[in-house]
Amino acid sequence: MALGARSIDRTHLRPQPTVRPGPTLSTAIAVHNLTKTFSKPGTETQFVVLDDISLSVEEGKFVTIVGPSGCGKSTLLNIIAGIERYDTGSVQLSPRRGSPTHQPRVGYVFQSPRLLNWLTTAGNIEFALEAQNVPGQQWKERVTRQLEMVGLGGQERNYPLRLSGGMQQRVAIARALAIEPDILLMDEPFSHLDAITARKMRFDLMEILAKARPTILFVTHDLAEAVFLSDRIYMMKTNPARIFKEVAIDLPRPRKPEDPALLDLEKNLVQEFFGVLEGTG
Amino acid sequence: MMTGSIRAAGLRAGSVVVLLLLWWIAAKLVHDPEVLPDPAAIAVTIAGNFQSPGPTGHSAIFHISLTLGRIFAAFAASMLLGIAIGLVMGRSRLVERALLAVIPLMLTIPTILMVFLAVMWFGFSEAGGLVAVMAVVTPYVAVNIFEGAKAMDGSLIEMGVAFKAQNWLLIRKVYLPQLMPYIFSAFRYAFGMTWKIVALAETFGLKFGIGYMFFFWFEQFNMVQVMAWIVMFVVLMLVLEHGLFARLESRAFAWRGAIAH
Repeated sequence: MALGARSIDRTHLRPQPTVRPGPTLSTAIAVHNLTKTFSKPGTETQFVVLDDISLSVEEGKFVTIVGPSGCGKSTLLNIIAGIERYDTGSVQLSPRRGSPTHQPRVGYVFQSPRLLNWLTTAGNIEFALEAQNVPGQQWKERVTRQLEMVGLGGQERNYPLRLSGGMQQRVAIARALAIEPDILLMDEPFSHLDAITARKMRFDLMEILAKARPTILFVTHDLAEAVFLSDRIYMMKTNPARIFKEVAIDLPRPRKPEDPALLDLEKNLVQEFFGVLEGTG
Repeated sequence: MMTGSIRAAGLRAGSVVVLLLLWWIAAKLVHDPEVLPDPAAIAVTIAGNFQSPGPTGHSAIFHISLTLGRIFAAFAASMLLGIAIGLVMGRSRLVERALLAVIPLMLTIPTILMVFLAVMWFGFSEAGGLVAVMAVVTPYVAVNIFEGAKAMDGSLIEMGVAFKAQNWLLIRKVYLPQLMPYIFSAFRYAFGMTWKIVALAETFGLKFGIGYMFFFWFEQFNMVQVMAWIVMFVVLMLVLEHGLFARLESRAFAWRGAIAH
């Protein structure tokens, strides 16, 4: 019996995503024609959560899915992470080039920190390391290094409930990075934080990622955040839940949120977005 | 905080002293040790029971350790089985449906009838006592843990699955810590039930132990000894519940204190 399965998905539709080396080595995430419908219990009504979604993320790139709440972008991320099922289509995840295994390591940063409050910050990171079968003798070094990287050096023995919301999210980021992921999935990780903390976290994330360089699929409803962080953006809409536009952000890094080029791009995208969402575009 | 706890301890000690005083006055008024011996006589008898082998040829230490052994074995078996059943019920709808019909049935059977049933099935053996405790306590623990399993935070389980945690890691680090409040609430009640059933089983069926001695002196109509064994039993259980379990509990929830201090 799969102990974890029940609370996650009670529909028994299709198998979990198959994880195998992609067709070309440089594609880390390849999603083809993915659909997911959800039938309301006791009725015949079918609710389309994801309608024919295709996307790909090249190795080492930062790609963001932007869409309004309820467009299914978190569901898409959960399917890619293998914690939700789907109906048709395919999901392929590949490890980075030169990796000794076919199984890519996937880190996940959720909207809320989802820390185990009964474990210390070190314990929380070690949970992920144990889950990923990282040898025990590496734990201490990795915990110290990752906590330092997210700006929480020396907080190993502190408990999550003693930390602020922003610090808790930093621990969650350290947990995801500690497994040295090939792919990092981030689901609106800064949306619960105040604007100033979120801004600082975005800068820090850019710095951290410049060193760790995993492939990133990021989900947000905030276009400014998407434009600032990403190499490429997929724009999603609801009813039906589809990707309607793909935009490359070719601006040089490091970027500044106040850069006029970024602001211009953001403005254009916002106009286009509302055009589509309101049916005039 | 500190003065508050000292004051609480003082109040508790004070009420015990008042109870002893009332008992002593009542004994003086009754003026018949065959009916109500005074506390001092009980204390002397208890001390004597520890020093000399009683009618069975064993001192009080022997009976106490035997009873404690029975209590802990039955308690551990019921708790472990109850936690396992409750956890599986919480994670599998099939098991939940199957057991939710049976458990109320088990909980309805009066405890004393369960002891008689166990004695009739297993005779006056250790197995009889064990089965009686497990039949009564396990369903209760299972229901409690099941409630806890239903209340678990699904998002944390999702996190564990996203990081590919195996079942055993999930049980240790995600399920059990969330179940701790439910385990402890079941723990208290289950322990109370266990020692009562063990005492009952010793009284009616088992050889030796505190309950056995209690019944032995009851048949002799020796009020001083009957009360001495009751007092020994009560003091022992109080020490265990407040000394041992309260300490375990505060240690298990230390992480919560992280918010307050």
